[in-house]
Amino acid sequence: MKSYETFSTTADTGIRFRGRGHAELYGNALRGLNLLLFGRNPRPPKSKRPSVPFRFRGDGPENVLVNLLAAAVALAGQEGKQVAGVEIRYADGRRLDARLITVPCPRLPRIDVKAVTYHNLRVREMNGRLRAAVVLDV
Amino acid sequence: MSRPIEQFAEVAPCRWRLDKSADRAMKADAEVIATREILQQALDDGAIEQVVNVACLPGLAGSSLAMPDIHHGYGFCIGGVAAFPADNGIVLPGGVGYDINCGVRLLASSIPESEFAVVADAVGHALLARIPSGLNARGLRALNKKEFQRLVAGGVGEVARRFGGDPGDMEFIESGGCLPFDTPGALGPRACERGAAQLGSLGSGNHFIEVQAVEEVFDPAAARVFGLEPGRVVVMIHTGSRGFGHQVASDYIETFRRRNLARLKLRDPQLIHADIDSREGRNYLQALNAASNFAWANRQLIQEEVIAVLEEALAMGRRGLGLKLVYDQAHNIAKFERHAADGKAIDLLVHRKGATRAFAPGHPDLPERYRSSGQPVIIPGSMGSSSFVLRGTASSAGTFFSSAHGAGRRLSRHQAIKLSAGEDVSARLRAKGILVFSLSSQGLREEIPEAYKDVDDVVAATVAAGISEKVARLWPLLVVKG
Repeated sequence: MKSYETFSTTADTGIRFRGRGHAELYGNALRGLNLLLFGRNPRPPKSKRPSVPFRFRGDGPENVLVNLLAAAVALAGQEGKQVAGVEIRYADGRRLDARLITVPCPRLPRIDVKAVTYHNLRVREMNGRLRAAVVLDV
Repeated sequence: MSRPIEQFAEVAPCRWRLDKSADRAMKADAEVIATREILQQALDDGAIEQVVNVACLPGLAGSSLAMPDIHHGYGFCIGGVAAFPADNGIVLPGGVGYDINCGVRLLASSIPESEFAVVADAVGHALLARIPSGLNARGLRALNKKEFQRLVAGGVGEVARRFGGDPGDMEFIESGGCLPFDTPGALGPRACERGAAQLGSLGSGNHFIEVQAVEEVFDPAAARVFGLEPGRVVVMIHTGSRGFGHQVASDYIETFRRRNLARLKLRDPQLIHADIDSREGRNYLQALNAASNFAWANRQLIQEEVIAVLEEALAMGRRGLGLKLVYDQAHNIAKFERHAADGKAIDLLVHRKGATRAFAPGHPDLPERYRSSGQPVIIPGSMGSSSFVLRGTASSAGTFFSSAHGAGRRLSRHQAIKLSAGEDVSARLRAKGILVFSLSSQGLREEIPEAYKDVDDVVAATVAAGISEKVARLWPLLVVKG
């Protein structure tokens, strides 16, 4: 498995990703989402890095992931902003305090993600890496 | 590995039962309405395990049910039906789906197919230009906060009052196009923001407007009651509550999770639920009603725009064109209904996700005109195949008067795109006499006819199981895809 990739089921599509810790897991989730929405990941700008804060405390890493991805989907859909990078101040299995670095969306997303689901979502540890797959309602 | 098909007993034609003894956690039986082939497909794609997971939920009335268009969904399969006691049962957003009150409405007309053929191309272009569709489409009507609150409380009645249209349509919409809503605090700000911008828009994915012809009539008496005449044009509209419903569902899944996750043992976290009489349960039901009202209003506004396009193209008014609403039915919803169990009346909250209510003749909630025929049940096929109109039957009591809602997906979007690589989907359909209009060529490829089950098989299973009877077959002439 790559660090992040897309997959599809009968009616849905989703992203699979992994990370050596929660910070990397969350970062790769955002990269996977970019791959699905825009087909590629942009480079974060070197200077002038507009960003939006993301602070969330939940019941587990699944809860953090769904809310993080939902925030990125909303940025793309409602504000025309693509998350180009993430500056993480604190990350664990229940909490993420970060800034999402944004760039203008290069084009409309390739697919209309309407919601991020908890369907069969469970963060698992395997060979020292955290892994998860998130199904998106499209 | 999927469960072996031998665990299921065919208790009646196309009715397959899995006894609750098959799985230690099941609290009720599972019953699937399907041909053997459809059942096997559902086993293979994991949908049956979702029916089993629902049978593990507490307080389920009757069985965990699935209709013949069953396929894999989020937590709860598409085509799934589950009912819980209204007084002490549970409500689960996963049993409704994200697109709250996604549904279908059918308009009959007296327009001969041959007359429509002359203007079909112009109508297709006009519909695509005038009815917002596709990603992030803004609606025909932008609403401010107050207008939005009035709309989600008033549903179709509010649309008729503010924007015109025929108030008589309300009789032919499930629940009169309005469920009770009086708790504005149950709606989150983001849900309202998404909804206010999207009223009167088709959306994307499998949503569509189709102009069809009545190709074949199986039940002339019922067809006459529904206003369906062979060779005449009908209009079918499929859409839902857009971003508003999705946000309501997302918001309440989070709320239910915060309140209840720790105490529940769930096989799939998407099956998070709350007690109907809890604060969060009551609030979700209020928000669900608001989103349902929005969806009915959305379909009503789109209908009015379609009528305007047809009036202009055929230079005739609505009456002259004989345009009449046959029925508007929800297929992603949870509603309180009275059913009979062991000879007693019982009030239930019936969840239908990708399933249609199909009341039998004589049901008091049907419009007077349909008391003798039963409820019209609209089953769209894919964009290259027939659709069907059926009617509710008394023998569907065992499914809480529920029926199929469509053909049901067979291929993933990715598989459909791969299968249609290099193909001009519009040209293929045009060769079959079907004009297709869409802003997205990828969207069209995702929706190729092969992506869906054969609707004839779905309808055959529906009829064989006795949960609905065939009235008419419709053939697409023009498709506008979201």
